[in-house]
Amino acid sequence: MSKQLTLQEAVSSVANGSRLALGGNVLHRAPMAFVRELTRQKKKDLKLVKTAGAHDIDLLCAVDAVSVVDAGFVSYETVYGLPPHYRNSVQTGKVKANEHACYTVISALRGASTNVPFMPVNGLKYGDLIDKNDYFLVVEDPFTKEPVTLVRSIFPDVAIIHVHACDEEGNAIIEGPKYEDILMSRAAERVIITTEQILPSHAMKQYKDRIDIPGFLVSNIVKAPNGAKPTACYKKYDVDEKALRSFLKFKTQDEIYQWVDQYSNSDHSGKRRTFA
Amino acid sequence: MSTDYRISDLMTCVIANLLKDRETVFHGVSSQLPMVAMHLAKNMHAPNLVHLNIPGGVNPSSIKQSSFSSAGADLVDKSESYFPLDEIFDLSMRGKLDVAFLGGIQFDINGNVNASVIGDYNKPKVRLPGGAGSAVLIPTAKKAIIWRTKHDKRTFVKEVDFKTTRGNLWKIVTPLCVFVYKNGQLQLDSIHPHTTIEEVQENTAFPLIYDHITYTELPTKAQLQKLKIIDPYDYRSVEF
Repeated sequence: MSKQLTLQEAVSSVANGSRLALGGNVLHRAPMAFVRELTRQKKKDLKLVKTAGAHDIDLLCAVDAVSVVDAGFVSYETVYGLPPHYRNSVQTGKVKANEHACYTVISALRGASTNVPFMPVNGLKYGDLIDKNDYFLVVEDPFTKEPVTLVRSIFPDVAIIHVHACDEEGNAIIEGPKYEDILMSRAAERVIITTEQILPSHAMKQYKDRIDIPGFLVSNIVKAPNGAKPTACYKKYDVDEKALRSFLKFKTQDEIYQWVDQYSNSDHSGKRRTFA
Repeated sequence: MSTDYRISDLMTCVIANLLKDRETVFHGVSSQLPMVAMHLAKNMHAPNLVHLNIPGGVNPSSIKQSSFSSAGADLVDKSESYFPLDEIFDLSMRGKLDVAFLGGIQFDINGNVNASVIGDYNKPKVRLPGGAGSAVLIPTAKKAIIWRTKHDKRTFVKEVDFKTTRGNLWKIVTPLCVFVYKNGQLQLDSIHPHTTIEEVQENTAFPLIYDHITYTELPTKAQLQKLKIIDPYDYRSVEF
């Protein structure tokens, strides 16, 4: 059975309440086509995991699709300022912000990837993050009797990763920085790849040394050219400054849904199962 | 010495002067000013400084394409090798990261850093972006340097609303002065030549600690000329 789905089918397969690990970093290679489809299908109660998020988390918060965010940092880059919808959702109590130290997200995903309940974290030694959050705990190292901080493992239900190319099996290549995407693909119960292009398997064999995510880990693939826009995708397109600036001006959900609709043709263009 | 400089130039040069040859130095997202400072140091007195960043590009030869981001693929494109964020954190945990550049919104005299919330953590008045790597890097990097382009009583407070972290904080560079963290206290290291001790105190909510007033070194002509070459689009000023 083919792993390829339309974007609509792939998003339908994600249940409300799922814990989603989102690939990319801040304004780079976020799986935006998938995120926009989550908003079109009015998904609810999503639990988001990412070291450093921006537009993806902000957009999902803007339409009340989120209940929890586990992240070390949520903000646009300096020139675009702070994420208004994420902040508002946290400040009004709609979203629970589980602040991490980026590294503790990595440690929590490493825990999931090796299926242990927690990971020791060397650097997290001081401060209120330890006291205020139930996913951090200081215990006595049973060997040395010294204090050691633990972070509870985070087991994502689905990792959503946007890549440059994959084949029909999901063997996927990310060009340029990988951020936490490879780790996410090992930590999540399911992996959904959205891809700029799908190569035939015989063509992908020529690049097998460069495959970052082997196909057997991948449940589904979605052809989504321009699927990271308006964030950047290395060698394909840069950040869409105009789009981000107009998004950041929106106040109402109507404006936001209309804006998402402007991407519909582009987001849904990969539905045919053709090679390109 | 030169008088033809802006505060962003001065801060960049001050930070560059804090860096030594062969040090491993990391900056994160939204960190254009320290990124430029690292390149200035590398192009002047610290040619073997090791530039580490989130996307993982070790020693990118140019930073001219980092227009909106200090965490973009351009840093990998122009790099010598690949060493991404998770490995940089591991490096710091092993005690082998010399310098980390970090931000923050509030700081107090005891060296506490707040990058998390204003108000209550669970029902915040203002949700801030979060400390990113601060809570593990400030305790483990040998020297943590903070830069902040605002210096007022809401930034340098009596007591932070929330202690995101503390630890091996070394210096805080602001538009008015440089603080040094010594003997568990934030002390005045130097004030910039364009200000006065009174102005710094008026904008700081805790009493300044100092033996005598030292003035920050001005940017040199050579530094300012080099800045024009390595940062022609003035990314060092995006926060101003």
